[in-house]
Amino acid sequence: MSTVSEPGPAALAGARATPRPRRRKVDAFPYLLLAPAALMMVIVNLLPIVQGLRMSMLKLNQYTLSQFMDAPFIGLRNYRGVLFDPDNPVHAGMLGALRNTALYSILVTACSVGIGLGVALLLDREFPGKALARTLLMLPWVVPTYVVGTLWGFMWQRDEGIVNHVLVDVLHLMDHKPFWLIGGNTFFAIVIPTVWRAWPVLMLIFLAALQAVPEDLYEAARLDGAGAWQRFRHITLPALKPVIVIQVMFQIIDNIYSYNIVAMMFGKGAGYPGEWGDLLMPLLTRQSFSYWRFGEGAAVSFVMMAVMLVFVALWMRAFRRSMTDEE
Amino acid sequence: MPALAIPPLASPAVPHRRRAAGWLAALALCLVAGQAAAVELSMWVMPVTNNAQRDIPALIAPWVARHPGVTVRVTVLDWESGWNKITAAAASRRGPDLLELGSTWMPAIAAMGGLEPLSAAQLAEVGNGAPYYPQLWKTTQVFGRPGIYGLPWYADVRAAFYRTDVFRQAGVDPARAFADWDSFRAALRRINGITVAGKRVAALAYAGKNDWNVVHNLAPWIWNAGGDMLTADAKRSALDTPQALQAIAFYSSLAVEGLVPSNALEKDSDILEGAWVGGDYGVIFSGPWLMRRIFEAPAGSVARANFDVAPYPAGPHGRASFFGGSNLAIFKGSRHKAEAWDLVRYLGGKEPQVRLSLLSSMMPARVDAANDPAWTARHPAYARLTAIAADGRAYPPIPAWGPLEAVYTKHLGELAELSSGVGDKYSEPAMRALIHDTVVEADKVLQEAD
Repeated sequence: MSTVSEPGPAALAGARATPRPRRRKVDAFPYLLLAPAALMMVIVNLLPIVQGLRMSMLKLNQYTLSQFMDAPFIGLRNYRGVLFDPDNPVHAGMLGALRNTALYSILVTACSVGIGLGVALLLDREFPGKALARTLLMLPWVVPTYVVGTLWGFMWQRDEGIVNHVLVDVLHLMDHKPFWLIGGNTFFAIVIPTVWRAWPVLMLIFLAALQAVPEDLYEAARLDGAGAWQRFRHITLPALKPVIVIQVMFQIIDNIYSYNIVAMMFGKGAGYPGEWGDLLMPLLTRQSFSYWRFGEGAAVSFVMMAVMLVFVALWMRAFRRSMTDEE
Repeated sequence: MPALAIPPLASPAVPHRRRAAGWLAALALCLVAGQAAAVELSMWVMPVTNNAQRDIPALIAPWVARHPGVTVRVTVLDWESGWNKITAAAASRRGPDLLELGSTWMPAIAAMGGLEPLSAAQLAEVGNGAPYYPQLWKTTQVFGRPGIYGLPWYADVRAAFYRTDVFRQAGVDPARAFADWDSFRAALRRINGITVAGKRVAALAYAGKNDWNVVHNLAPWIWNAGGDMLTADAKRSALDTPQALQAIAFYSSLAVEGLVPSNALEKDSDILEGAWVGGDYGVIFSGPWLMRRIFEAPAGSVARANFDVAPYPAGPHGRASFFGGSNLAIFKGSRHKAEAWDLVRYLGGKEPQVRLSLLSSMMPARVDAANDPAWTARHPAYARLTAIAADGRAYPPIPAWGPLEAVYTKHLGELAELSSGVGDKYSEPAMRALIHDTVVEADKVLQEAD
């Protein structure tokens, strides 16, 4: 028994009578203009990501490196090793590096944003030599991170370093010279130079954002008797919120991927920064290029990338309105 | 036939075509001949002299003069990034024609298939390695496999550099001080903290972490205690043997006792050597490159006027010194292997090795060059380095040495933190636990090599 009925002649006639919808003409020109950029994105970003993902599923080490992408495929074994195998050297070091990286990112971001915002507020007024002050304050940001790591490596030395000289000999804040590059202080030895280099650019961004806040709002607030703190809390902070939210996100991403300062301060990649100095990126680099475990190194980088994607998605979701200025 | 009717029309063109073909053939011959005559060798070296970009071309200039049509493009890498660049070249088979490789790097690159093994004929041309120090000749091979992959180029032999004025003022006889471990410790105790030339001198300097030399610094102490870095079959770490533990305990105790100041442990070798030349330390274990630094110091500097070289203090089982250096090899992907070999063989000769040693202060890798008066007569210390090299010892040439050294460096850095007195207090059980962790991780690296 057939359940499909043939369309009758009337139906066919009706269909013919219905005017055919006009196909919307697509303007190809914008796509042509976008095509080179899209192609470059695929070549520069997408292909390396796909290749990296495949590398993370290969037994790619010193003995198989010459085979490169033809190295034995081992599925998710690298991920299992670095995430769950307690005997895996990458896993063993990762927990400490993860703790340090989390604390480091939070502390550096909070301090850099706080100092940057504070100095921007101080500079957001007219005074003689303002341009010179702003330029001089930008100097730390101009110094490359490799140089920052090397310079602070010298500055932190216990006996010859300038930090202890200032703290102990000049300011008399301590009665003995502490070690900064050995023991628990290594954590502060990497945090402080990172903040030192990061805050000036944030200051400049916040200063630019402050220029866009209408002066009328402050005048109206003053007329209403609002004090400095109230003006900051109810005018400045809401006005800067989109910029702050974006900059905090960028800072956290930058700091989680931080490498240069730690690597240069502790033996140019030769050594191990210590229990409190190791971060995820130096760990990843050590595993990949000192231990030659490229497959596991790629797996760690994809775990990091996944965590960062989740973080960025949550952050964007939480602060979407602030970032897009939607109400 | 119609085809036969064409010649009258085509006949004027035939000589043109023939002429054109002749010109093309001549041009092609010229191009081929030109290519044959214009061989460009690419050579990668490390910064063995202060200005290797100038000195290495000068070193090979006599060879280039004898090979018209061959030019050599020298690229100077650095020790920090050189490893990554060379491994990438070996993996991709795209690299130089010949290159310098650290003696511990060579087995890894050879095992990757990145180097051209020397033929029997080539080996015969260099006396099957007889002119070279046998310890260094072994570094041109891969442990447990046949094949020779290059020639030793220059040597790094470690020794004790000490301040003669400090020893004199403390009333310590250097010959007695370096006799054995006990006399060495006693000598360090006597010189530690004395003031010489207006400067308080710490007894001994060695890098604790943040440095590539951490393992090389410790190795001779382990060998001299009768231990080794690996088991005889090179399949396991041997750092947990009683002999190795004895050496590690002695070596650490020098820092725990304060004979190596804690602030030395946070510095790298480069800074420590500068500080030794500047008069901060009485003794430092270093290599021949320190001679260059000493002689570059101002004429009146204390170290330049008052230094000498001694072998490692004898341990319970000997007086070995770390012996390494650099080798020259032909890259597998080279398209000019014959020319590359000719240059390698030239640089492996006595006269170029002596010249390089004078330019760099690194010891020649050939026995005859290391005993040449041009090297030994420069300063008595050079002759002493040559004598110390007789007891030199190199690591077994295993491909996994690179990752293994990274594991050792990491954990020995932790040992230095423990010895420094900052944080956890040093104890022998804590040291043994740390070495146990080192061995576990090192064995994993070695297992992967199987």
